[in-house]
Amino acid sequence: MSDIKVSVILPMYNVEKFIGQCLDSIVNQTLKEIEIICVNDGSPDNSAAIAKEYAEKYSNITVIDQENAGAGAARNNGLKHAKGEYLSFLDSDDFFEPDMLEVAYNKAKEDKADMVVFNSNQYFEDDDTYKNINWTLRYKKIPPYMPFKHRQMTDNVFKVFVGWAWDKLFSREFVEKHNLLFQEQRTSNDMLFVFSATVLAERITVVPKDKILVHQRRNNKESLSNTREQSWQCFYNALTALKERLVNENIFKELEQDYINYALHFSLWNLNTLAEPTYTTLKDKLTKEWFEELGIKGKPSTYFYDKKEYGQYEELMGN
Amino acid sequence: MAKVSIIIPTYNVEPYLVECMDSITNQTLKDIEIICINDGSTDNSLEILKSYAEKDSRIILVDKENGGYGIGMNIGLDKATGEYVGILEPDDFVPINMYEDLYNIASKNDLDFVKADFYRFTRADDGNMNLVYNHLSKNEEDYNKVFNPSETPSAIRYIMNTWSGIYKRSFLEEHGIRHNETPGASFQDNGFWFQTFVFAKRAMILNKPYYMNRRDNPNSSVKNPQKVYCMNVEYDHIRDILMKHPDLWERFKGMYWVKKLHNYNATLNRISEEFKVEYVDRISEEFARAKTKGELDQSLFTEREWDKITLLISSPKGFYNTYVVAGASNEKLKAQLKETKKELKATKKELAKTKKQLKKVKNSVTYKIGRIFTFIPSKIKRLFKRK
Repeated sequence: MSDIKVSVILPMYNVEKFIGQCLDSIVNQTLKEIEIICVNDGSPDNSAAIAKEYAEKYSNITVIDQENAGAGAARNNGLKHAKGEYLSFLDSDDFFEPDMLEVAYNKAKEDKADMVVFNSNQYFEDDDTYKNINWTLRYKKIPPYMPFKHRQMTDNVFKVFVGWAWDKLFSREFVEKHNLLFQEQRTSNDMLFVFSATVLAERITVVPKDKILVHQRRNNKESLSNTREQSWQCFYNALTALKERLVNENIFKELEQDYINYALHFSLWNLNTLAEPTYTTLKDKLTKEWFEELGIKGKPSTYFYDKKEYGQYEELMGN
Repeated sequence: MAKVSIIIPTYNVEPYLVECMDSITNQTLKDIEIICINDGSTDNSLEILKSYAEKDSRIILVDKENGGYGIGMNIGLDKATGEYVGILEPDDFVPINMYEDLYNIASKNDLDFVKADFYRFTRADDGNMNLVYNHLSKNEEDYNKVFNPSETPSAIRYIMNTWSGIYKRSFLEEHGIRHNETPGASFQDNGFWFQTFVFAKRAMILNKPYYMNRRDNPNSSVKNPQKVYCMNVEYDHIRDILMKHPDLWERFKGMYWVKKLHNYNATLNRISEEFKVEYVDRISEEFARAKTKGELDQSLFTEREWDKITLLISSPKGFYNTYVVAGASNEKLKAQLKETKKELKATKKELAKTKKQLKKVKNSVTYKIGRIFTFIPSKIKRLFKRK
């Protein structure tokens, strides 16, 4: 077995502003047995040049170039080269506590985990403040004993963690065994990977609440979250791909109610965060086709966990 | 092929092991295989087992590093070659005709398993035994007939044990029935027992007691945080097994939650004070989720149990105050009452004794003579008073 404990996979697209700070905080991690795989997703800016400078200085940094294909494709590309025991998928605009990988890796090892999740907060660049958030890892909805699996979660299994990858480590063996891949699309490309892992993992563990290991940068104009105007249909592809996976794994029936509730939640979140005219385009698509295809339409009101969300659905449908 | 393989999972049971081994090696059913798993005992258990194995070729002795009850039991099950398999705990013992009787009934009726009523016993320092008869079922009509446990979820209410009967080995193999391999002793018998009931098609329970289950060590409170959630983990495991067979889960999920409630109550009584608030919070979450998913069947619970569940879900704090804190002080009051009653009884006994003595004195000749002497002067005194 390789002696690399964690492979950090870092997709880069026009992040010349952050990439130096980001790589510094990874090479300065207290966990030293790591490799850093930077995948340059055809950035027109200086991101790749900066990363290559680092690679010359640090032997455990590799830079891979690809034609622009999105962060999902970049992560899959990095995944192919990874040799570590665990995989970390970071975003170059976030930043990390120096012991992030060490703490997460040790916890994963302690519980022989397929997947470990850790706590994060938000960093607001504009006023240099941190904000604690309790919805990225809902401690009350997981058991006080570790490890556990999705059946021990006491809420919708798709709402206990968030469908992004950067606050988690995944066992490479587990990822390869289930052939988990990111979706190659502009946005919502990580949800399928993360939620497939969540329901397939036999052993999930989490780092205790008081240990915040990563800071998510907000109010950043270049961040992908603001690019959904051109990719408003990506979330729907993610939802249908997730359903297909659940069906193939024979766990759809068990998770159907959670899935449908999450599909409504995710659809509404996507809709509510879009500006016109895309808002109306998506609204029409949802009410005329997608709510039905996702299995939301026709369910009794008691089927829905969140009355507010169901209320908005009824309103959109004109009921 | 031996008629019955008996597995004895052994860990530090030196004081009891001779009684156990004598009871198994002297069985009237001779065609048996005795599989002793020494799970890294640190006392003389291994030496005792060795001395028996030297004398009796039917004994297979496996000596392994300490690894937990489930792993040890599974090694035994893998090694077994008999037509039926029984489990004997090394601090218990069995009457010499147990396996002959059970085997005859099981093979005659082609049973997946047969189980009998049993005794729990304690033994005082003077050697006196205190026996309590345990009925597997509360209903007399459940006994002595072939039934189909896989179609009878209510049978999950029978007293849980894995040792008061024998199991057809081919039945265990067909369904891959094994123990959960969690560390130490962590209620791994629950999962084994649950599986035997949900998979068996032909079984019987007997209203005749055989197995002798020792109860010398009353449950001491659990102080190890690692052990607080053992029962939850075992029930997680049971759920995973049931859910591999959607039809089984549909049929048994109601009883699964009934058993869970009973076992969680028992756990609440067993764990030490400092874990109880968190424990109640967790089981509140679990039952709330089960209710949302439609897994709770109200008709299977008593009215009192359903009230308890309703409060547990709506207010774990209220549940804690009502059933844990008040429940505990109730227990304390009950204990005090019992003590007072005992004292009262002793006082009454004392009083009766005094009365008896008094009667004896009253009936004695000297008392009667004395009475005459005191009687006359008092009569005279009264005569004077009237004046």
